[in-house]
Amino acid sequence: MSATALETREAVEAHAPGMISNVLTLAWRELRDALRARSFLLYSLAFLALGLGVSYVSAASTGSLGLSGFGRTTAGLINIVLLVVPLMALSTGAGAIAGDRERGMLLFLLAQPVSRLEVVLGKYLGLAGALVACITLGLGACSLVLALQGGATEPRTMLWLAGLSILLALSMLSVGVLVSALARRASVAVGTGVFLWLALVFVSDLGIMAGTLAMRLPVKSLFLATLCNPLQAFKMWALHSIDASIDVLGPAGLYAMDTYHDALPWMFGASLIGWIVVPLLLAVVVFSKRSPV
Amino acid sequence: MIRVDHLTKKFGSFTAAGDISLALARGESLALWGSNGAGKTTIIRCVLGLLSFEGTISVGGRDIARDGKRARSLIGYVPQELAFYDDLRVWEAVTLFARLKGVARVDLDATLDHVGIPDQGGKRIRELSGGMKQRLALAIALLGDPPLLVLDEVTASLDVCGRAELVALLGRLSGQGRSLLFASHRADEVTSLAQRVLMLEKGRVNAEVPVNQFVAKLGAGSVLHLHMPAPSRALAMELLRGHGFAPTLNGVGILVPVPATQKAVPLRLLAEARLSVDDFELLSPRDASLGQENHA
Amino acid sequence: MNATRSILATASRLGVIGACMVGFGSLRLAPALAQDTMPPPSEGPGVRDAAGVALNAGVIGRLINAAKPGDTILVPAGAYREHIRVDRPLSLIAQGRVVIDGMGSGDIVEIAAPNVTFRGFIVRDTGIDLDKENAAIRVLADHAVIENNTLEDILFGIDLKQAPDAIVRGNFIGGKDLDIARRGDGLRLWRSDRALVERNTIHDGRDAILWYSQNVTVRNNTSRRCRYGFHLMYSDDVLIENNELTHNSVGVYLMYSKGVALRGNRLLANRGPSGYGIGLKETDQFSITDNLIAGNRAGVYLDGSPFTNLKPGDISHNTIACNDVGLTFLPSVKGNVIAANNFVDNIEQVCVSGRGELTGNEFAAKDRGNFWTDYAGYDADRDGIGDFAHESVTLFENLLDREPKLRLLLFSPAQQAIEFVGRAIPAIRPEPKFFDPAPLTSPVRVATNSSPAPSRLALAISGLGLASVSSLVYLASRAFSLTIRRKGTVA
Repeated sequence: MSATALETREAVEAHAPGMISNVLTLAWRELRDALRARSFLLYSLAFLALGLGVSYVSAASTGSLGLSGFGRTTAGLINIVLLVVPLMALSTGAGAIAGDRERGMLLFLLAQPVSRLEVVLGKYLGLAGALVACITLGLGACSLVLALQGGATEPRTMLWLAGLSILLALSMLSVGVLVSALARRASVAVGTGVFLWLALVFVSDLGIMAGTLAMRLPVKSLFLATLCNPLQAFKMWALHSIDASIDVLGPAGLYAMDTYHDALPWMFGASLIGWIVVPLLLAVVVFSKRSPV
Repeated sequence: MIRVDHLTKKFGSFTAAGDISLALARGESLALWGSNGAGKTTIIRCVLGLLSFEGTISVGGRDIARDGKRARSLIGYVPQELAFYDDLRVWEAVTLFARLKGVARVDLDATLDHVGIPDQGGKRIRELSGGMKQRLALAIALLGDPPLLVLDEVTASLDVCGRAELVALLGRLSGQGRSLLFASHRADEVTSLAQRVLMLEKGRVNAEVPVNQFVAKLGAGSVLHLHMPAPSRALAMELLRGHGFAPTLNGVGILVPVPATQKAVPLRLLAEARLSVDDFELLSPRDASLGQENHA
Repeated sequence: MNATRSILATASRLGVIGACMVGFGSLRLAPALAQDTMPPPSEGPGVRDAAGVALNAGVIGRLINAAKPGDTILVPAGAYREHIRVDRPLSLIAQGRVVIDGMGSGDIVEIAAPNVTFRGFIVRDTGIDLDKENAAIRVLADHAVIENNTLEDILFGIDLKQAPDAIVRGNFIGGKDLDIARRGDGLRLWRSDRALVERNTIHDGRDAILWYSQNVTVRNNTSRRCRYGFHLMYSDDVLIENNELTHNSVGVYLMYSKGVALRGNRLLANRGPSGYGIGLKETDQFSITDNLIAGNRAGVYLDGSPFTNLKPGDISHNTIACNDVGLTFLPSVKGNVIAANNFVDNIEQVCVSGRGELTGNEFAAKDRGNFWTDYAGYDADRDGIGDFAHESVTLFENLLDREPKLRLLLFSPAQQAIEFVGRAIPAIRPEPKFFDPAPLTSPVRVATNSSPAPSRLALAISGLGLASVSSLVYLASRAFSLTIRRKGTVA
């Protein structure tokens, strides 16, 4: 017994691949699965169909009047991104960990020489890749349709929109992954994801409206409260990137322009990046503490 | 290779493993033996660093709680049933795990040949039978030639044939300088694979014995629990009575008390009579009587 | 300094050539003056007075002094650092590139005699004294023709003071890079009736403004980045036609004027603090027709106009598109006839600020209304007129009119949610703001040119670029597989 004990104390040489290698490997598998998942295909088709619809209709209405450059196409696309992208990212993220845990796959994965951080990051990266593919495909197709319809939109606008949509998707994916790490069951996770979507898309805006009307919320509080919602930060940033101004958003927009000037894009960026980083860090912490079964 | 000191794992108020200590040397083979709920799987999951626990566990001198990733790189793990992304093809799964284990090059054909599933590389995991899945899991566990294999009831979901073949395969593998830690509630697996046996009961160590004392420790006899289709049960009862056994029916099969040296005889008899047995278990007499009470 | 010096030297050499050309013409020119433009042979380019003023300072002034009324002076190419006063009827015509540099002080050209023509000069760098209204060209007499000049870096551009019957044509007027409050007017008419202002380009100024000037024609001008593209104060019977007014604070602002016609103008992206395409304050007997009014904060802003009930305000055949608000009415506005316009995708088509009534205005003439992109009805009998009246009833707009701050939430899905609730629950549906009895079902033709479209090719390329990102991602997901041979070793 004592000889055995002695022997076990020696450190055995152990090789494990680096973190980046593992993250990429895990991301690959996640990406592969996501691109083949039926739900993901449905989201992509919905996004594509809505985007193309908006492009087609708005190009038809403004294009025939020779109104290039003022198209409401962008506003319509922003609206669709605000509806579809968060739903897609939240539900994708929410399914990421809880589903695997429920089906026991997590157990086998974590029994391999991987750290939990690597698993979370790998999943995040893979799903992010899938979301990027979906968004770029959708907005790319919209750009082509707009070009064919008469090009009532600046190319720059579409590129900005795509980039910002990706940021929005990443932030919502972060939140989804956190939900997934917290939830015990996949169905609960996805349900919570959808609930959060409703909250961010509708409830928070309606709350802000009610607050403004009922409590005469000053314009500064109104702006800052709105900025905290990543969807609104995305929207304001998108408008700002296209017009170099958010004056279209009325007195509160003008207030923001006058008060924060050049800091505005940084503020939008900070809101979105905060929504990416903080939930993801929390997800790592939670996932590291939770049992994989 | 493994050293576990005062491992305690509680789920709420339930103690799944209480103050377990064990050590496993290089090349040695240790069985965790006990019925369901004895704490075998809990110990294995703690050794893999999947659960948080009190006490210390080191694998190859590395603390599993603090240096889990590198500790696990020394372990090849085979679960009771491979639950993995069903959509992956076999070769994709092998590639995936080879990468995670940092194995630079893998000869796919040789890997699959080695565990007895040649030419299955193109199939999806969901298309594999239970036995093939377990072999794939074993192939994955062997990637990178880890010095330690950890097996958790690997035969539990297999039929008689599949089980025998897998045990034989494991027997060949354990004889190659690998350490082996495995959980089982089957005495035959324990006797054919282990050098030492940790006998567990309700989360505590009952005894730690060399394998040659294990059979004696088990007691004079056991009860063989045979799962078989209902129509052939009556025939089987008749056949076994004719050979001096005293079988009784219970809800899902037949209970046959067997002496310590004749545990497989009923199986042989039934096989010769071409009566199919879906599954069997070896129970201690006390477990068997508990089972009967439940049915009553 | 060296660079400046050599430019001046070149300029004066060019002056010699100019003088020779003058000699060939049948023009009067004092020979002595021509010599003055010639550098003495012994002197190099470094010769100048202590203040750094070039050799040919005061040259044009002396040319003028030597001329008789009715003469034409061809000013040789060169840079002239001087301030000019034209005190007799003359034509001053630049030969080649003639720069008159005010060196950052005072006015530069003053025309104090009638029938002066001033053509083809580059006038630059006035003073910046707003009280003294430093101007590049100040006209104090009638029948001036100010043509094809380029005014750069100036406070006021062309200032007509009691200078009727002037023609201001083809000038390019660029203001100083100053804060808007410190800028002067690119063009100003003060009691200067019957002027013709055409084909000028004015940018980065304050206003192009008409004070008390009647019967003026303003046509084919371009204005960018100014405060008010054209601003009328007490100026009656003015025609503003075919101008392009973009990125100003306000495109055209009419105040206290009557008989103004705005026709065929393009008023785009005027989004300053007021941000009207066309603003009307207490203006009477106006007509606004065939304009393209797009992308402004408010397309047309009506405050107390028409001012009397002599003639209804005529707003017809315009395309009012993609503005934040198409038409903004102050509450008491009445007496407008708004017909045969296209209201295309304005975020809010019509707004009554402060929630007044619109009942005093007509949205149709001769049973033809306007084309509304938000019209929800249909045209079963195919007579081009919708079978139901167009009423604007939107809960969200109602909220916005009541609480403009909430525009911050524009374009959000919550907006649609509120509209949906508004449609679904009649009890909370607001009163219709206005009523178009005969909405058109197809757009009206409007006689303005369309904007140049952004490159379709670039858009298509961006689209392909975006789509290729997605295929890259897809390929990345396959690339892992491609590194492996199916039957054999896994690398």
